[in-house]
Amino acid sequence: MPSWQDFQPFIVSGLALGGVYALSGVGMVVLYQATGVVYLAFGAVGAMGALIAWSLIHAGVPGWAGWLVCVAFAGVVTLAYGMVFGPALAKRDPLVKAVATLGLTLVLFGLMDLLWTTSGGQSRGITLPTDNPAFMIGQIQVTWTQVIGLGVGVAITVGTGAFLRYIKLGTAMRAMANDREITATLGVPVRRVEAAAWLGCGVLAGAAGLLLADLVALDATTLTFLVISSLAATLIARLRSITLTFGAALLIGLVHDLLTPIQSLSTYNDMTPFVLAAAALLVISRRRVMTRSREEA
Amino acid sequence: MLDVADLSATVRQRWPPRRPGARTLARAAVVAVLLLFVLLGLPQLLSLYYIDAMTQVAVYSMVALGLGVLVGRVGLVSLGQVAVLAIGAWVAARLLFATSMPYPVVLLVAGLITMVAGMLIGLPALRLRGLYLALITLMLAGAITVVLKNVNFPNGGHGFTGYNGSSVHIPPIRRPSVASGDPAYFRYAVVVAALMFLLAAAHIRTRPGRAWAAIRQSEPAALAAGINTTLYKLWAFALASFITGVAGGVLAGAVHYLYSIGFPPQDSITLLAVVLMGGAYSLWGAIIAALLLQLLPALLNNWGVSADWLTILFGIGVLQVLTTAPAGLADQAPKDLARLGRLLLALARRLAPSGGAAK
Repeated sequence: MPSWQDFQPFIVSGLALGGVYALSGVGMVVLYQATGVVYLAFGAVGAMGALIAWSLIHAGVPGWAGWLVCVAFAGVVTLAYGMVFGPALAKRDPLVKAVATLGLTLVLFGLMDLLWTTSGGQSRGITLPTDNPAFMIGQIQVTWTQVIGLGVGVAITVGTGAFLRYIKLGTAMRAMANDREITATLGVPVRRVEAAAWLGCGVLAGAAGLLLADLVALDATTLTFLVISSLAATLIARLRSITLTFGAALLIGLVHDLLTPIQSLSTYNDMTPFVLAAAALLVISRRRVMTRSREEA
Repeated sequence: MLDVADLSATVRQRWPPRRPGARTLARAAVVAVLLLFVLLGLPQLLSLYYIDAMTQVAVYSMVALGLGVLVGRVGLVSLGQVAVLAIGAWVAARLLFATSMPYPVVLLVAGLITMVAGMLIGLPALRLRGLYLALITLMLAGAITVVLKNVNFPNGGHGFTGYNGSSVHIPPIRRPSVASGDPAYFRYAVVVAALMFLLAAAHIRTRPGRAWAAIRQSEPAALAAGINTTLYKLWAFALASFITGVAGGVLAGAVHYLYSIGFPPQDSITLLAVVLMGGAYSLWGAIIAALLLQLLPALLNNWGVSADWLTILFGIGVLQVLTTAPAGLADQAPKDLARLGRLLLALARRLAPSGGAAK
């Protein structure tokens, strides 16, 4: 059994990872609440943004411009998808909307494989200037990227919470989460609010892609499927509460990294989000009420 | 609105309600002729490369059939079918190395064990529906992939996992003695697939199929009509997993060597994409899906085109199917062909008199 010393660095890295999961999770919950879409292409747009940034930086473009392009790309692609397929699928089942975003995932995935061939085995990486050690907590080295990972997670969660509560656009999104038709009747420009939600979600996807490319790896498959970890956090929160999403994301990040020093479990730590989400869903859905209300229609 | 009494009567109906009509007989004849052609004609016409590809088509037509039953009949979307296929292949490989059981018995046992595993995966389905079920199966598939990566596929070693750790002297997974060559094994795979299609068709035509249809339309209404929704949903998962497990067994013999990287989770997504494109509501859809998934890459590879284009195409295909053609190619293609035919006929008719006038 490893000692407490062995676990310490993984608390920091776990919290950083959890912070980025929280950032992604909050973006997905807000979009789901506003439009009813579980955006499964979240990881893929972030990954492609990060790959574009990598190519730009390799071509000599300054780093900040590359990161900006990454975030902008994810935002624009997400917004475009939302504008084209959002209205077309607005009246359909949430399941159909989610599966449709898998279509976008496949398109992006194919493009990434085509343009950034992975078979060569050369590894890519994005290094942010924040990667050098920032300070020590006790014996543990902390990098600024890790601080940013957790910090952005906290900031986005708090900021989104405030935004949904105090800002007019935020309250409009909450109203739409309750009832789209009535919200429209009250004179809220439904389409515009939806567009804002799509754009916001896309920008978060870009930011998450950039941070994860640095914290984990810049690889199309890895980044595309890391979305599942944040998805697990949103599922634990039943796609409703952003505070719960934040907590669950931190928990997933922590458990995942804390299993690393335990030898018998370290190769299984990628199962963390799946196991936690499956268990949580089964417990939550213990008392199921069968209705024919909105949720099914 | 649904009439509950009517629904209940429909589900309880005995089969066959009437004698097979001329249409059914004609359809059966077409299927029989097609099957004979595939069994006898196709291996003569194709090179070994395409025979291997068509064996894969036969395997994946079963996988697509399993998913098609879940999606098209019961309305349960599973994003973890490739993980189920991997379980089937693993069990079959382990049995083939450990025992000298005849191949059909191995297939049957692999199917049954996978069925139990699939029912475990399906347990959440009894509580969850729609979106949540799809996402939880995606998670379970991810978890199974992680386990497989650690356990590895059997390669002739000892112990429970049958993995000997070495990658040098790996004995191939055996094939049935009657079908050791590639063309013979292709025929074998087609026969197994045909049996699985019959099994699925028998389910769909009888009481389970009608219960599934009722559940798909409205679970509360089905429940009110006295249908044991828990039983029939679990049944659907059991059937789909059994078929997929058998497919895994056929796959094990087809490729001789199995590796965990051969079953990535994104394949489950691609599988759902092609099943939706092929048409989840028709048995033909499963065959179209398998052709899209296995024959097209083989063709593109032969022409030197990257298979990544296919991934992009499948992505666009899903979006197109979901927005405009929910019943997929199996439903759309004949309609479109008929429309094209009518259009050409109309064009020919319009051209004929004007052509005469021009003279």
